Amino acid sequence: MTKHHPSNDCLMEHAAGSLPVAQAACVSAHLSYCERCRRTDSQLKTVGGALLERLDPIPVSEALLDTVLARLEDPVPLTYTGQTAAAELPSLLQRLINGDFSQLVWKRITRSLSISYLSTGDTNYEFALYRIAAGGRIPEHTHGGGEMTLVLEGGFSDGRDSYHPGDFIYRDAEDKHAPVALDGEDCICLAVLDAPLRFTGWKHRWLNPFQQLHAG
Amino acid sequence: MVENKSDSETDSGRVWSVPTGRRTDEWSECLVQIGNNSDRAAFTRFFRHFAPLIKAFALAGSSLSAAHADELVQEVMLKVWQKAGGFNPEKAAASTWIYTIARNCRTDMFRRLQKFDTPLAADDLNIELEGEEPFTVLHTRRGSDRIRDLMGQLPPDQAQILAKVYMEGKSHSEAAAELDLPLGTVKSRVRLAIQKLQVQMDRQ
Repeated sequence: MTKHHPSNDCLMEHAAGSLPVAQAACVSAHLSYCERCRRTDSQLKTVGGALLERLDPIPVSEALLDTVLARLEDPVPLTYTGQTAAAELPSLLQRLINGDFSQLVWKRITRSLSISYLSTGDTNYEFALYRIAAGGRIPEHTHGGGEMTLVLEGGFSDGRDSYHPGDFIYRDAEDKHAPVALDGEDCICLAVLDAPLRFTGWKHRWLNPFQQLHAG
Repeated sequence: MVENKSDSETDSGRVWSVPTGRRTDEWSECLVQIGNNSDRAAFTRFFRHFAPLIKAFALAGSSLSAAHADELVQEVMLKVWQKAGGFNPEKAAASTWIYTIARNCRTDMFRRLQKFDTPLAADDLNIELEGEEPFTVLHTRRGSDRIRDLMGQLPPDQAQILAKVYMEGKSHSEAAAELDLPLGTVKSRVRLAIQKLQVQMDRQ
């Protein structure tokens, strides 16, 4: 059971298709864990359908119907459909990763934190996996912008609460946090950022010039 | 289109108070026929009803040209034909189902036109409700009938915001800028609309 969910606004923008692809992928990965949000998403899509029914129709030509009828037997392109993941990784992540965590290239940031950057093509958002060693701590930091986090493995705590696989957390630019991975296993999270990490403590501030947004 | 008529209460009132009229059940049956029997006559009926709505959706507040709008109609309708076999009338109304297809095709088309290269198609990000349990199915179906009925009773200012967000794909802040309203007003109208539609959301 996931305890932390995207905001209502965020779920609505997702259902309306207006979230940037990197954020949409993160919300969608949460949906694959969370039945409650899937249900909300389904109702929000119903709202979309009801609005569609109420648009003022704009006539289309008979020629367009003929074109479509003539193409009905065209070979169907292979498609992939989003599946819900019971215990494993959401399938869209599996596709982006191209396998499992062991095949990723991890960049070591501090003793307990490594990051692996994935590509969504979204040039405004960094889409990355964070691995925090069991019991390890990410030094206190902020971001220049918003940060979406989805726990994939293990868990972490930030002093306010603890978070487990499927939990979705949004923090805005001002939010200062220093997550600590729970003991027992490494914590792997998906993080979507629109500005790089900024360490706030004197011990780690020197690292800041090396932190860049790896969007794309 | 309703979004240009915010100054004329009567006009937008008229547009939004049109009763649901035909239940989309007719269209759900139509989809089932298309899916089960590759029924071209059913498909033609479905096309005549929905293609003009998809075209309106394509042109709603977007920069798509008329030619692109027609291309979108084509893509959506071909998908309808190809995917109708997977349509389950117990889970969703026909309009919800086709809305999802249209939304995804439009997103992909925008990205294509902007030369935005991503390994993720909009379809990849669409997670369907599993709802195998009878309770969930019944619940979903009732919920969706109710939402469609209640939509007709929304005050025009709330319906207008929802149309901006859904039909035009605007974020809440973009909608606020366009309507020259404070962001807080947009958010509270959205919240009120969602409450009136009885969408089950977390109280925040």
